[in-house]
Amino acid sequence: MKFLFLPAIILTLGLLAAIVPQFTDCASDGKSITLANGKTIPMKCHWSARAEIAVGVPILGIGLGSAFSRRKETVRTLSMLGVLLGALVILVPTTLIGVCGTPGMTCNTTLRPAMIAVGSLVIAASLCMLAYNEFQGRAEM
Amino acid sequence: MSFGAFVLRNIVATGFRSAVILTCVALVAGFALFTALVTEGSEQSLSKAKQRLGADILVVPKGSESRVQTALLSGRPTTAWMPKENLDKIAQVSGVQRASAQLYLASLSNASCCAVSEMFLLVFDPATDFTLQPWLEQELGGPLKLGEVVGGTHVFVPEGDDFIMLYGYFLTLKATLEATGTGLDQTMFMTIDTARDMARISLSRAEKPLEIPADSISAVLVKTVNSERHDVAQRIQQDLPGVAVVERPDLFQAFDQRINILTKGFFAVLGVSWAFATLTVGLIFSMSANERRREIGVMRALGSPRHFALRSLLAEAALLAGLGAAFGLVLTYCGVLLFHDLLASALDIYFVLPSVVDLGVLLGQILALSMASVAISTSLPAFWMSSGESVGAMRARI
Repeated sequence: MKFLFLPAIILTLGLLAAIVPQFTDCASDGKSITLANGKTIPMKCHWSARAEIAVGVPILGIGLGSAFSRRKETVRTLSMLGVLLGALVILVPTTLIGVCGTPGMTCNTTLRPAMIAVGSLVIAASLCMLAYNEFQGRAEM
Repeated sequence: MSFGAFVLRNIVATGFRSAVILTCVALVAGFALFTALVTEGSEQSLSKAKQRLGADILVVPKGSESRVQTALLSGRPTTAWMPKENLDKIAQVSGVQRASAQLYLASLSNASCCAVSEMFLLVFDPATDFTLQPWLEQELGGPLKLGEVVGGTHVFVPEGDDFIMLYGYFLTLKATLEATGTGLDQTMFMTIDTARDMARISLSRAEKPLEIPADSISAVLVKTVNSERHDVAQRIQQDLPGVAVVERPDLFQAFDQRINILTKGFFAVLGVSWAFATLTVGLIFSMSANERRREIGVMRALGSPRHFALRSLLAEAALLAGLGAAFGLVLTYCGVLLFHDLLASALDIYFVLPSVVDLGVLLGQILALSMASVAISTSLPAFWMSSGESVGAMRARI
């Protein structure tokens, strides 16, 4: 029962990683880029928000998997995967895709810092789960 | 078993109690840091903004004083116009050492001819300017040439471009000014020649031309002879009835008042929460002391010194307070660092974060204060626990 605490946190963080960017990108503020031919295209942060779904859902899966898993090796693998995906949550809006240039935009003030915070927490929670898994017997879990 | 191990075991054995104390201390220390960062940072930010403007008196068209101050502080563009001859009249007022005109313009909103949407453009006259010019001479080794601009810390050349395009005109960003934490960080500074050239080019290249009314200026910055600021301000007001005169200490007064109200509110909440947290921790420890009377009695009967219980309880409290405060401080600082812009816009104030040294001092002070508060709140139950008779303690009903 005690072990469910960390998977529950990871599951929640996975949900946050997938949902929060959908409401904090510039497209959610009704902003887009108008091209010279009059056509509008989404801003860079919109693609970051989309990519976060692809990263957030597997984190959610890690939370579920580690909650129901009985094997020590499985939890170890899931924890390591959690660390990797946590890093990806941070890298998507900062390096891999990025957000818009103007500092005052919602994606800069909310999306990027929120994803850095969520990603860091996913890494920390996964490392705690890994440590707990290694130092405590599975019988206790 | 060593003393340290004994203290640690006690903390781990009473996990829920320890977690409650840790959370209380973390919350209060975190809130104290947040309050200090916002209040000190906003005062610093305001003083930097006043320093950046560098004038003793700001003269603007009557009725626009609040709008202009908001624009200067927030970076939200505004326009205000008055006759250019006001500059000559102000320069002739007795006590005026230097007077320089400024023009306030804005880039277009969501236009393809502007790389940056709705940016505040501050135009100065290099011949008379005494605020930016000395800095430019020192940093760039000379004045700005035609087409060159300097920007606040948030003004940047768009990725993949070499220039900033405004009104279809290509501008070279020569330097970036130090952060003030205010809207001046997203303001672009250019000379009057560049602004006029941009207006000329905009007629053919921009979606909407840049209009600079002939023989008009937006504001006059005045430097006065020492200690004559107030008298000079009164003289300007008497000579030019169509203008509003704002003295340096009164600049951004509305913002200053907002900071004061916010500071008072934050400190009131902090005081109450600190008192409650100290009482809660004291209460938890007195319950714990009561719970452990028999245990202490047995230890005393087995030969442990009288002050051992006092030491162990104080050490437990110090460790929990230290850990809790450190946890709260780290988490709060990371949060403020990450969500700085969001907090600034939510609270509607501007604040800069402190330097590493100032931050270190601040963290040390809050950590010491947290540990001292917990030590005070636990000293009474700890003393009571250690001073009881061992036989009586062993017989005590738990």
